[in-house]
Amino acid sequence: MTTVILLMASGMQEKQYTPSLLNFFVYNPTFGQKEGEEEKKILFYHPSDVEKNEKIRNVGLCEAIVQFTRTFCPTKPAKSLHTQKNRQFFFEPEDNFWIVMVVRNPMIEKPNKDGKPPTVEYQEEEIIDTVYGAVVKQCYSMYKLFNGTFGRQMEAGGVELLIQKLEKFFYRYLQTLHLQSCDLLDVFGGISFFPLDKMTYLKIQSFVNRVEESLSLIKYTAFLYNDQLIWSGLEQDDMRILYKYLTTSLFPRHSEPELAGRDSPLRPEVAGNLLHYGRFLTGPTNLKDPEAKFRFPKIFVSTEDGYEELHLIVYKVRNSKCDRPSSVELTRDFCEQLDGLVGPQLTLLASDICEQFTVNRRISGPEKEPQFKFIYFNHMNLAEKSTIHMRKTASVCLTSVHPDLMKILGDINCDFARVDEDEEIIVKAMTDYWVVGKKSDQRELYVILNQKNANLIEVNEEVKRLCATQFNNIFFLD
Amino acid sequence: MERDMRGRGNPWTPSGLIGQFSLSNNVSSPTLDKETEDAATDNDRSDSGEFVVTMLAKAKLEEQGIGVKGRSSPLLEVGTQETPAFISHRDEDVTAESWRQHRKHVFVLSEAGKPIYSRYGSEEALSSTMGVMMALVSFVQSGDNIIRSEHIVVFLQKGPLVLVCVSSSRQTEQQLRGELLYVYYQIISMLTQASISRIFEHKKNYDLRRLLAGSEKILDGLLNLLDSDPSFLLAAVHCLPLACSLRDSLSQILQKAITPNLVFSILIARNQLLTIVQEKTVIEDARLEPADVHLLLNLIGASSAFQAGEIWTPICLPLFNPDCYFYAYISYLDPPECTVCLLLLSTDKEAFYAVAECKRKIEEAMMAQNSLSLIAKVQSYSVSQVGVSDLRHFMYKPFDVTGCFITYSKMEAPYSSEEEKMRLLDLYRYMHNRIHSTSRPLKLIYHVAERETLLAWVTSKFELYTCFSPLVTKACAITAITKLLRWIKKEEDRMNSLKLVLFPYLS
Repeated sequence: MTTVILLMASGMQEKQYTPSLLNFFVYNPTFGQKEGEEEKKILFYHPSDVEKNEKIRNVGLCEAIVQFTRTFCPTKPAKSLHTQKNRQFFFEPEDNFWIVMVVRNPMIEKPNKDGKPPTVEYQEEEIIDTVYGAVVKQCYSMYKLFNGTFGRQMEAGGVELLIQKLEKFFYRYLQTLHLQSCDLLDVFGGISFFPLDKMTYLKIQSFVNRVEESLSLIKYTAFLYNDQLIWSGLEQDDMRILYKYLTTSLFPRHSEPELAGRDSPLRPEVAGNLLHYGRFLTGPTNLKDPEAKFRFPKIFVSTEDGYEELHLIVYKVRNSKCDRPSSVELTRDFCEQLDGLVGPQLTLLASDICEQFTVNRRISGPEKEPQFKFIYFNHMNLAEKSTIHMRKTASVCLTSVHPDLMKILGDINCDFARVDEDEEIIVKAMTDYWVVGKKSDQRELYVILNQKNANLIEVNEEVKRLCATQFNNIFFLD
Repeated sequence: MERDMRGRGNPWTPSGLIGQFSLSNNVSSPTLDKETEDAATDNDRSDSGEFVVTMLAKAKLEEQGIGVKGRSSPLLEVGTQETPAFISHRDEDVTAESWRQHRKHVFVLSEAGKPIYSRYGSEEALSSTMGVMMALVSFVQSGDNIIRSEHIVVFLQKGPLVLVCVSSSRQTEQQLRGELLYVYYQIISMLTQASISRIFEHKKNYDLRRLLAGSEKILDGLLNLLDSDPSFLLAAVHCLPLACSLRDSLSQILQKAITPNLVFSILIARNQLLTIVQEKTVIEDARLEPADVHLLLNLIGASSAFQAGEIWTPICLPLFNPDCYFYAYISYLDPPECTVCLLLLSTDKEAFYAVAECKRKIEEAMMAQNSLSLIAKVQSYSVSQVGVSDLRHFMYKPFDVTGCFITYSKMEAPYSSEEEKMRLLDLYRYMHNRIHSTSRPLKLIYHVAERETLLAWVTSKFELYTCFSPLVTKACAITAITKLLRWIKKEEDRMNSLKLVLFPYLS
């Protein structure tokens, strides 16, 4: 969906268009290699109402570009194509399967006098390749979470099954893409962790162990509070995409009714168990009703030698959530068993955690205006922390700084990626904001300072102060 | 006094070269002898003034299918005089891994897909790759396109020419596009934009190589300079740091040696500018753009054949006027070392003898003032002169109304090898790109890395790039910059005295 923002400037109305999705397609050049059978290469194409020949032409162009770049570097072919009006991203997640995303560049439409058509100015530089490249990879990871790899689909049911699955998944998923608010955090794809004291952490660990022991169907467990992760038994890459799904799709869907308030008609009838506050977010919404059908979404997680298919059970007590991928058919009995076992214990734990949350809040200060605006990411455990992003919901992710500053962060991140060594980059923007980027080991820290008259040394001192309070056990270059 | 350009025994004219484009025009010399005339090829009758017309006429004749032995610019003929040390990349095997490993490929082709130039490998071997490039260009929307992979591929279309660069140098698309533009302008400097347009209008699949035979060395030289010379990056000209008095005296010498239609007098030493003198009434306030100076410097430096004597050749200054020729008199003043070169540009194609006379006057005056030995003593700046211990290198460009000139220190240890020089320049290039970003420009970048610390700073008055040792502290760096700027200010009498000096009016 395109967002149009009207800017009034000295009587002339400029229209600013944000980046938007033009095309998204999946193809395999090894299918349909014979003349006249080119259409077979296309496995998914959005928008679907485009003429067949145009689809074939666009796919052909991508093939030509990939081939051309292989002339110069056979192992690392094209990643993106920049034209004045749009940008195409190429990604080959599995051998010979290509995903291509075409984004229309942001533009400004300036009205002309005398009824002439408005002049359009394309802003190519606004789109950072690493950010949108990461978005394409995320699309694939999300697909893989719910459907397994393309290869696996082909084995199970051939091309027809793959096409079906692609259509079903991407038709809905593409509607949730908000390209205008993609930024550095998409490059990281990190997880926000909830800091806990040792005692409570151990209590949670033993709780998880007990549950997994008593219910043998449970394979892995992850424990979250609000939108932050406390513990996960899953592989990092799986957890990262599952986390994204939970925080941007599942939780917001279910939290809205709660936020709506008691008397709102949106609030469903919750026939709760009086002994605890737990309920299922996936699966049976109402355990009391024996007739109600339910199902758990299936996900694929990686194992040593492939993938396994599991059911995702998400169980929530107020703000604590437990999700449990487990295998095999899940019956109503099982659900009741789970409810009975987990509910009360989780309720108790939840109040412990809640206390911690209040304590944490007191330490870090009010959320309204954080003392330092920074983003931190650790490549090793995927921990991310941002005091710049607020209220991440499914549809919007507000930042408290100007988008240009976020793009400067993106640039610095690109620069860090050029070499493996530890580096520090400090820049002063035209608006006199200072941006400091530090890379140490596998950690990256970005700080934005609004200190117009400061010089390099003063900025350096400020950042040192920040590191002392928040990151005192991490060595950053001075 | 008449000058016999083909004179035997004249130290300035080696036998074969000048004879080929003799300048026997209406000023007939009685010493012309028949045998030299006969020995010349059929084009020798045409003096350089008619050369342009001849070339275009040939183009027309070829279009009509008449086989006329095409002769291209004498400038390019000069280029074919290859020194033994010149390594030709023309015969490289384009399927080999080594070809792929080149840092930067540049290709020029016509709109119709006909190859014109390739930096590495011959055009024939690359014809299929060029075909694919053409297909990509026409397929994708009009305008300039870039493909990003491990390499960046940049396409630029200018008129009927398509230029492509495939680079793993991590430069940005804007910088690569700028380099392709330079290649385009160098081609224009040899042929003019108007004639290229005309040629392709008449015949879409004309093979421009016919007119550019011998130019590969010039384009190769340009691409090497683009890689290794910082003055291209900052769009400014590098001058040899002369004392004010020396530069003034040289400028005066040039100022006095005038003749009608002489518009520019340029003195160059060791591929750096000494001074430019410009005629005021004809050109008024128009200036020579740094890019034009770069192209001139490359033309002269790209071939050692210019060292052979006096050259009189048409030349186009693309940014000044892309559609017409000047006539350039080029001569080194200090054979055989050939480090100091005099360049006189005239709008009159018949003016060779008059311009040569100017050169003689200049030579005389310089000899009287012992200028050549004074010039030989001048050294480029070294960081040690600044007296700051952590500073390794700097580049400084003032924003000055009178000209675009840049000052930089020599690249010394640890940047002595070609690789290290390139690496440092790459770092400067990346900083330049970030600072001058069109959508999010910056005022300052301070970059601490493993092998060096860099600081780039842009103010309303200047642009400064510095390189320090990696262990420098921020406080030290700031002090160093302050000291450097103070030193530069003191040296300004040397650095910024290069103004364009205008000829006095003729009474």
